[in-house]
Amino acid sequence: MARFVAKLEFFIGACLLMAIVFLVFIAAVMRFAGYPIIWSVDMAQLLFIWLCFLGATATMRKKGHIGVDLLVRMLGYKYRLWLETAQAALFIAFLSVLVVQGYLLAVNNKERVFGYSGVSYYFVTIAVSVGCTTLVLAIMANAVDAWRNREDGETLIFSKTIGDDTPSEL
Amino acid sequence: MLPIGTIFFLLLLLGAPVALTIGIAGFYFFWSSDIMPLSIAVQKIASVSQSFPLLAVPFFVFAGHLMNESGITERLFKFAHVSVGWMAGGLAQVSIIMSTLMGGVSGSAVADAAMEARVLGPQMVSQGYSKGYSAAVIALSSLITATIPPSIGLILYGFVGGVSIGRLFLAGIVPGILMMVFLMITAYVVAKKRGYVVKESTKPSIGEVFSAMRYAKWALLFPVLLLVSLRGGVFTPSEVGAFAVVYSFLIGFLFHKELTIERIKHAIELTIADIGLIMLIILMSGMIGFAIIFLQVPQSIAGNLLSGLSDSLAIVATILGMLFIAGLFVESTVLVLLLTPIFVPIIKTIGFDPVHFGILMMTIVTFGSMTPPVGVAMYTVCSLLDCKIEDYVKEAVPFFIAIVGLVALLLFLPEVVLFLPNLAFSR
Repeated sequence: MARFVAKLEFFIGACLLMAIVFLVFIAAVMRFAGYPIIWSVDMAQLLFIWLCFLGATATMRKKGHIGVDLLVRMLGYKYRLWLETAQAALFIAFLSVLVVQGYLLAVNNKERVFGYSGVSYYFVTIAVSVGCTTLVLAIMANAVDAWRNREDGETLIFSKTIGDDTPSEL
Repeated sequence: MLPIGTIFFLLLLLGAPVALTIGIAGFYFFWSSDIMPLSIAVQKIASVSQSFPLLAVPFFVFAGHLMNESGITERLFKFAHVSVGWMAGGLAQVSIIMSTLMGGVSGSAVADAAMEARVLGPQMVSQGYSKGYSAAVIALSSLITATIPPSIGLILYGFVGGVSIGRLFLAGIVPGILMMVFLMITAYVVAKKRGYVVKESTKPSIGEVFSAMRYAKWALLFPVLLLVSLRGGVFTPSEVGAFAVVYSFLIGFLFHKELTIERIKHAIELTIADIGLIMLIILMSGMIGFAIIFLQVPQSIAGNLLSGLSDSLAIVATILGMLFIAGLFVESTVLVLLLTPIFVPIIKTIGFDPVHFGILMMTIVTFGSMTPPVGVAMYTVCSLLDCKIEDYVKEAVPFFIAIVGLVALLLFLPEVVLFLPNLAFSR
């Protein structure tokens, strides 16, 4: 199941990324050639917010979101697990409010047309709602995983496993 | 602003993910406000993503990963080895040159430091360089990538502060090269003293340098093309970013013939993860950014700063000092996103050039990741080299002095930073 999700996520992400590159590239070339395509960049921006949330979810699953671990590093595993569980609960509540508010806003935005593309702004706003939903699911999956494996004394929800210090690329 | 700040710092110190910490702190503003509907909070998140300049971020991240998969790194290494490997502290010089060259390909200090620590670190230690010296050179030279274009940090600064990204890119070149020179001299002096000299070293012939250069020409050409296409503003930085991606594909497939489907997949995977990491912070900062403006934070901070100080250089120096302290604890992307909207209006009020300030700010906040107590680049390099932080700090002192000296120089001589952008873009 987890592997299927990862594959699907990669496939959609790769398509979005390549499409965004293509749309902006073509728009720049055509504008330079004197035939501007006005909807191309709008379309790229619309796809971009989807790519952002997809990437954010992927990074969440890989526990790659950065935090300042200066103080918590000194805590024992048990306390860290409880601390991260409390944080997970807080963030799930926060993201859930965004899911609902995003949905309400998207429905309100249906009439608003986005840029020159003719596409409804609904598809931009609803990305927040969908993206926060997938983030909530990723946090939940990480939490379940951490509690199941708590006997190993190292699996956490947001932080990478102690000892596995592969740095993020940025 | 006080409760927002309290929530932010509390969660930050408890080690929560920074993106969500920023999100919840900003959201509190809408939650506690009687006049702001909650839907505006969502609106702020969505609208951040709908900005064309921001598209430069995924493009340059993607181009950087693609080039790494196309054999660019080895070629640049060979070039660096041939041209400076013979000097005193040869491998240290290679590391510094390499950071400058890599800065022109990808825009990330930590990635650069990690790569060099893996490749150069073991070589340096086996040639008798102390671990502390090796770690210090590798970590601190990655600071050069902060200003050499395309720098992701400068894109974000330009985006948040409403400053021309094209001008920022051009303004970063001379400071980046000066940083290289300053660090090379420091590395040379220390290496001479310690006797880190290569036995029987001979200067390479012009022919050897040229042939190494030819071997790496597509990589070396990239920053040049980047700047040529930005000149005069014919193409926007985002468009140039899309060109950079296409160029990387061309190099990988046609010229180096090293790009395979597997490698592209790997590059895409890393790119998606990086975009997710940076962009969630950026999207979530949309709310707190609005709160900062709405609550007139820049005005109140400016009021306090300006009342005590009259000289504009003193004000900028004070701000840089504050940034340095903040940079010791907080990651540079986060600082750029949160503090640019506060400081750029102040800078503009006192008549200081925001392009000039951007270069200084990027250097200072990135510097924070090479210093204790929270330095991502420092930790990465020290853990890869198995070097004690104390040893690192001891050996890093001469480099710290060189960097602070350069920042002071850049602060007092704005022309050094600004003459290239002024040359390329008519005012």
